[in-house]
Amino acid sequence: MAEATAPKPSSSVKLVLLGEAAVGKSSLVLRFVNNDFQENKEPTIGAAFLTQKCNLPTRTIKFEIWDTAGQERFASLAPMYYRNAQSALVVYDLTKPTSLIKAKHWVAELQRQASPGIVIALVGNKLDLTNESSGSGNALGEDSETDAAEGENDDGDARKVSTAEAKTYAEEEGLLFFETSAKNGTNVTEVFTAIANAIPETSLKGARGPGATQSSANRTEDQSRVNLTGPRDSASKEGCAC
Amino acid sequence: MESLSETKWDVVIEGTGLQHSLLALALSRSDKKILHVDQNEYYGAAEAAFSLQEVDGWVERTKGCSDGAPFRNATLWKADDDESTNSEKLAFSRSYTLTLSPQIIYTKSKLLALLVSSKVYRQLEFQAVGNWWLYNEVDEELLKRLPNGREDIFQDKSIDNRAKRSLMKFLKFIVDFENQTGIWEAYGDSSLQEFLSSQFQLPPRLQLVIAALTLSFDSPDKTTVRWALPRIARHLTSMGIFGPGFSAVVPKWGGGAEIAQVACRAGAVGGGVYVLGTDVENSQTIESTEEEMLEQKFSLSLSNGETVTTRHYINTKDPTASDGIVVSRIIAVISSPLLPIFASSTEGSPLAAVSVVVFPPNSFSQDGVSLTHPVYIMIHSSETGECPVGQCVLYASTRYFENSKVVLEATISKFLEAVKDNVKLLYTLYYEQQQVTATSSLDLAFDDQILDNVEEQWKAVSGYGDDEEHPPFMQFADREGMNADDDNDDGY
Ligand SMILES: Nc1nc2c(ncn2[C@@H]2O[C@H](COP(=O)(O)OP(=O)(O)O)[C@@H](O)[C@H]2O)c(=O)[nH]1
Ligand SMILES: [Mg+2]
Repeated sequence: MAEATAPKPSSSVKLVLLGEAAVGKSSLVLRFVNNDFQENKEPTIGAAFLTQKCNLPTRTIKFEIWDTAGQERFASLAPMYYRNAQSALVVYDLTKPTSLIKAKHWVAELQRQASPGIVIALVGNKLDLTNESSGSGNALGEDSETDAAEGENDDGDARKVSTAEAKTYAEEEGLLFFETSAKNGTNVTEVFTAIANAIPETSLKGARGPGATQSSANRTEDQSRVNLTGPRDSASKEGCAC
Repeated sequence: MESLSETKWDVVIEGTGLQHSLLALALSRSDKKILHVDQNEYYGAAEAAFSLQEVDGWVERTKGCSDGAPFRNATLWKADDDESTNSEKLAFSRSYTLTLSPQIIYTKSKLLALLVSSKVYRQLEFQAVGNWWLYNEVDEELLKRLPNGREDIFQDKSIDNRAKRSLMKFLKFIVDFENQTGIWEAYGDSSLQEFLSSQFQLPPRLQLVIAALTLSFDSPDKTTVRWALPRIARHLTSMGIFGPGFSAVVPKWGGGAEIAQVACRAGAVGGGVYVLGTDVENSQTIESTEEEMLEQKFSLSLSNGETVTTRHYINTKDPTASDGIVVSRIIAVISSPLLPIFASSTEGSPLAAVSVVVFPPNSFSQDGVSLTHPVYIMIHSSETGECPVGQCVLYASTRYFENSKVVLEATISKFLEAVKDNVKLLYTLYYEQQQVTATSSLDLAFDDQILDNVEEQWKAVSGYGDDEEHPPFMQFADREGMNADDDNDDGY
């Protein structure tokens, strides 16, 4: 393995997943991390903390992805779950209008409870269940106006939330917006890359949370950390993923 | 929302305090059907940590509580902030995480080993409890740093040579006290003070230094040798385990609350169901009328109206536990980073995030206020994430007595005078805390006894007999998706 150039700066970014149960949060992560999809998979159990790197031209972002661990069922997510999160993926199922209402609730909750600078992406998942197989993302055209679908279409289009509605809401709230399919992979990497790009440089360098971001001397974070597993191996392995 | 009563639970755990959360972690790979409820809308029970706004709500709620409740007499004070500069006033509510039960964790504690072997340490960050200070008005230096080891003692000019020899003799004894019963067994029930002076000829000042390490809520003449020696030994033998210059750590972002949440999260990852804001209002043992043994032994009525059945019921209503101790506490926010307090005295030590200041009994008296019991102030810097940069959080504790609120306030004033840093007090929360169950501890250092309780409950719920082979306690493999090399590739 050739190490020709100096390694790019790399930062950890905590990303939390929010949204109604069964909208496909865990599936999106599985697609992003393992490029895999499981039909009718067991809800969430097992994986709740995954990491994945995202290589940008000037830096590497290592996502620490916090899945809900099924705790969304009784709205019992721990406060620590969003605390210090620099980014959030709020997911709804675009075949299920109530899941968008739930998503809006989570956005409001994040705006109230999370770090002020948090980057939030609103994601309408299960795009494969609609007729448009091509993905709709931020670069979406005006075509979406027409498919403000009410009820099931004759041609098997299960979409119940129009792109325009969700997109307008996302713009009002200053959220990134994507429509994805964890099943066939549409737009999944794009969501995470867009989040990585949107993380402000100032909230990196390991400084998290309201206290730390105000500090100019925020490198002290490392100086205070105690390692419980013995001396650190400084020869770090480089793994590249996305 | 699905119904909880449809499931036949293997165990219902009540309360998300540290002990019960650790039990959830211990059971998280067991395939048991676990329902974990908490009457509060937050995790952590008596170990909870709050933003300022959450404290406001908590203060209101404690007012309506009965005698048996863990907290009482909570009162809040905030400085007027009209003409203050930024660091001299309170920041917004969420810049703070104030913990109700501040505790340090000695590096020797089994808790740390279990957090590592169960892999949840990855979601936590630990910081050092660096300097320990002793306050004494008879010295010209009001605050004196406790020696951090033999070299410190040799270099300390305020200790004469005879006293140094006595101290060395004591230090040599204490690290091996378990094998030296001949020296102390006969004095087991005597006071620490008497033992140190009669057996080791330690001068009064050094007795205070030694006593400070016990974190006892009683004065050294009321602290027994049997109780004190293991604690002193723990402090001294914990030094240097995870790096030079410190013997204890705290989890960043809110202490025990953070561990409780990580442990509950592990429980949820393992399939446990978490319901907050829900209490067990009534429990009934299900009578076994049939020949066959009933799987479900308890029927529990939840405050949300549902009734669930379970084989095991781990509750917090343990009447045997209260030992009657009540502790008074003040949590204070101040307008200074107190840099000299945290300055490292040991080469290569991590930056301390917490420092301990000990006020021995009678270390000051003023306006009729004198200390009958020791007062401990744990100072948390903004490194802990508990307050904004430029401020500190002080956690002051002493045994409750009639006057203890006034005494705590006077102690904090004395401390702020001693640091001479033009510090403003921005916020204080006073409350009294009593030990109502065995599952919460008032101790200022994490008590490993809690882990023995957890292990016992884990065995009972898992159905492991005493002599039976069973998997080791809290030894888990990494879950899928966590790379083993993660420890050493998080370069910044
Ligand atoms: N058709 C389709 N199904 C999906 C998609 N993403 C997830 N699912 C399915 O939706 C169900 C719930 O997914 P899951 O990821 O567990 O949702 P979570 O509860 O939000 O984590 C599973 O049966 C998935 O197979 C998708 O993009 N398209
Ligand atoms: Mg899931």
